Amino acid sequence: ITSGSPNPPSRKQSRPRKAEKDEEEQPLQAVLVADSFNRRFFPISKDQPRALLPLANVSMIDYTLEFLTSTGVQETFVFCCWMSSKIKEHLQKSKWCRPTSPNVVHVITSDLYRSLGDVLRDVDAKALVRSDFLLVYGDVVSNIDVSQALQEHKQRRKMEKNVSVMTMIFKESPPGHKTRCEDDDIIVAMDGKSKRILHYQRAQALKKLHFPMNIFHSGSDEFEIRFDLLDCHISICSPQVAELFTDNFDYQTKNDFVRGLLVNEEILGNQIHMHVTKDGYGARVSNLLMYDTVSSDTIRRWIYPITPEANFADQEGQSCTHSRHNVYREPGVSLGHGSQMEENVLIGRNTVIGANCTISNTVIGANCVIGDNVTLDRAYIWNRVHIANDVKVKQSVICDNVEVKHGVVLNEQCVLAYNVVVGPDITLQEGTVLSMHHPDEEDDEDEDEFLSDDDVGYSKDKTKQKGSCSSYLIMLFQNEVHGTLQRGLDENISCDNLVLEINSLKYAYNISLKEVMQILIRVVLEFPFQQQGAQISTAQYSSHLLPLLKKWAPVFKNYVKRPQDQMDCLASMEEVFLERETHWAALVKVLMSVYQLEILEEEGIMRWFKQSSTTGKSQQLRRNQGLLKFIQWLEEAEESSEGDE
Amino acid sequence: MPGADKETELSERIEAFLSELKRCGSGAGSLRGSAETARETTSLLRRITAQARWSNAGDLMEIIRKEGRRMTAGQPSETTVGNMVRRVLKIIREEYARSRGSTEEADQQESLHKLLTSGGSSEDNFRQHFTHLKANVIEAINELLTELEGTTDNISMQALEHIHSNEVIMTIGRSRTVEAFLKDAARKRKFHVIVAECAPFCQGHEMATSLSKEDIETTVIPDAAIFAVMSRVNKVIIGTQTVLANGGLRAVNGTHTLALAAKHHSTPLIVCAPMFKLSPQFPNEEDTFHKFVSPHEVLPFTEGEILSKVNAHCPVFDYVPPELITLFISNIGGNAPSYIYRLMSELYHPEDHEL
Repeated sequence: ITSGSPNPPSRKQSRPRKAEKDEEEQPLQAVLVADSFNRRFFPISKDQPRALLPLANVSMIDYTLEFLTSTGVQETFVFCCWMSSKIKEHLQKSKWCRPTSPNVVHVITSDLYRSLGDVLRDVDAKALVRSDFLLVYGDVVSNIDVSQALQEHKQRRKMEKNVSVMTMIFKESPPGHKTRCEDDDIIVAMDGKSKRILHYQRAQALKKLHFPMNIFHSGSDEFEIRFDLLDCHISICSPQVAELFTDNFDYQTKNDFVRGLLVNEEILGNQIHMHVTKDGYGARVSNLLMYDTVSSDTIRRWIYPITPEANFADQEGQSCTHSRHNVYREPGVSLGHGSQMEENVLIGRNTVIGANCTISNTVIGANCVIGDNVTLDRAYIWNRVHIANDVKVKQSVICDNVEVKHGVVLNEQCVLAYNVVVGPDITLQEGTVLSMHHPDEEDDEDEDEFLSDDDVGYSKDKTKQKGSCSSYLIMLFQNEVHGTLQRGLDENISCDNLVLEINSLKYAYNISLKEVMQILIRVVLEFPFQQQGAQISTAQYSSHLLPLLKKWAPVFKNYVKRPQDQMDCLASMEEVFLERETHWAALVKVLMSVYQLEILEEEGIMRWFKQSSTTGKSQQLRRNQGLLKFIQWLEEAEESSEGDE
Repeated sequence: MPGADKETELSERIEAFLSELKRCGSGAGSLRGSAETARETTSLLRRITAQARWSNAGDLMEIIRKEGRRMTAGQPSETTVGNMVRRVLKIIREEYARSRGSTEEADQQESLHKLLTSGGSSEDNFRQHFTHLKANVIEAINELLTELEGTTDNISMQALEHIHSNEVIMTIGRSRTVEAFLKDAARKRKFHVIVAECAPFCQGHEMATSLSKEDIETTVIPDAAIFAVMSRVNKVIIGTQTVLANGGLRAVNGTHTLALAAKHHSTPLIVCAPMFKLSPQFPNEEDTFHKFVSPHEVLPFTEGEILSKVNAHCPVFDYVPPELITLFISNIGGNAPSYIYRLMSELYHPEDHEL
């Protein structure tokens, strides 16, 4: 058995077979995308890129590189965008960049990458890959041996000249399994014999599924529809994949790519196959729930031989001992009198734990100080954390350098980001996120990140640019929307088509969703003025406006969905009416009709009304008689509806 | 520079060997048997001796000790690595002593007489330089390698003395040594073998297939049936992963059951283990004794929701106390378990027990 040394420089082979041999002996390459292009780990990943977050005290990218190296990859390209300098520094200090490493790691950084598609287009532009390569993300944790899948892939490509473009690797796991990420639930229709994917769809939250008939005509008699697959986010790609991404600029994610290929199959003739592994383990840490699950799987040794005591990343002083009940202790740990480490615990080096603590299903980092009487259950505590006495932590993440004072109780799914200090005797409710960074305008969700992402298709998650476009574009957009609505009225276009038009305008002018809604409200409210001139009376205005509101209610409902949207909508209305003082009476009628059309809800209107306003004018607006009466009526209506229930 | 190249190549090899050890496959059936590991370790140590920079025996021993510690830390349950390191250290000591001219008896180990009379004569720090030391050490290591290659054959040669016609032999799991042992006896004798399958890795199946290819009558039984079938068995012959310093075994899980059943029926238990498996470890080292692999074999991943509520463990090894063992057959002959301590003192120097 020879060690994996690189090919000796001179090879005297028989000439005619040389070309074939060269092709077969190309070193296996891999493309590692160290950026996830979404913000599921905000605000933690504002300080540290996701690939470097510690999972069982080892950075996530180390797991991915270990997986690649153990499966025989000899050259890896790591693509980074967000905080690339940190990732580069980490990799250069790690064992992967030592001269003795069998896997050569190249780090490629650019601030322009916005999606997986951009990365693969770059791969194609730089012509980095010579043959089949593995495509993974920086947060994939796995011990799968892909050599068999690779064999099958190569075989398929040899048999039918380059028709099969990609082989995706899945793991069998039944629905409801905790390692299945709910965002990633997929339903796959495949040909049983050739393992070809015929239909691929994300099934998250869908109650009905539709399958196109043409997949049943694929000409084979073994046909399977599978819902028991967990996507490992590991794919074996051929160089054509990069070319296809270059040809099709609108392919941004892997999902786009797969669906695009399947739809265009007759035209382009490319096929995607799959490989289902039963024995290996592969999962991607795509959100905090998955972080919890994959951490506990690592501690319970499902990913053997990648286990905490193996110290595969070869870090100094990281070797820990494995004791009964999956308790791992690194050197220098001191445990107080009466403290119990019940099961599935990993404690980092030089950590001091006080007396009478109960610790289970937890990972604690290095150099932490934990006081007495602390209860830790499913807690993930990173480095240099100080926890005082009498603290209870349940299923939470506590990042580096946090100080938790005594008596604090953290309920399920809390996150304390870097450098936070939580004061004495506070109980945090479920799902609280505390961070030193102010929530931006762009951070629509200041709730917990454990929620699954409904807005999967929204491009605003993928862009990092602050969406402030020039006011010229806004003017143009506004005019266009006005034109659309006008046409809608004249030609009696259905609301769905109006929504479609407005959406396409949004993309054309690169407007953010919030601004679209605000401009829409503004346009609608100003519609009668545009039609009939600025001097119409309030009564005329209302009589013109109200039927329009009713007609376009579905359009509004499409854009106003969450409580935050309602607040924005009301703020926009306020703005419009503040400009036209004479028509304040109409505001009441507008609010009434909007409320009755169920575009806005009571809570939203009440919250807006109670907002302490900054300008004198808006305070005055709120004191308007009609408005006060409306609010009173609203309150009574609310009480009566609550009384009924 | 050729020197630097050699050094980097050497460290590359060591790194590659270390990562192989760490990743040594999943499950009890490690992809490489102990004999191969022993051979790899020894050739790596020979390479280190040849290519590393050292001027006297003390330096060389330091280097080998350091590398040995790294290698044993990589996979603590794979004791053959540590054993080979200790053998090489003993070889170095012997060669040094021979070069110095003193007889081997002088630094022989503890006997009470020695302790009283010799005082502190073990003062040699191994700092003297001898020009032929390198060549001698490498030659001795080559001899060790030859010995390693011949162990299985040496053991198999003793098969005919222990297995008689029409006997029923029981074994568990898959051991290459026992396989060769039985196949050798099958050339001249006719006997029957019962193989316990050794869940959850079920290596017994492969053993049975391989034995039946040589026309040996084989039966496979589940582990639960061991006690029931034991009354029909004449001898139990097993292999092991390690022989511990007290004469006990660290063998594949299920062996303790087999040994207890054999004791109850007063059936002799014979262990076929080559000398390189003898380790100066005692069984009380809680943390490094065991190897736990992925619980997938015990409770499959596809079981779903129950996995988050239940802890599943899959240990690989078992401890068998020396009272249950009748005979050890190794490449230097048959021995009782109570004699193991003596064999160990011949193989390893007491100062090397702790690397």
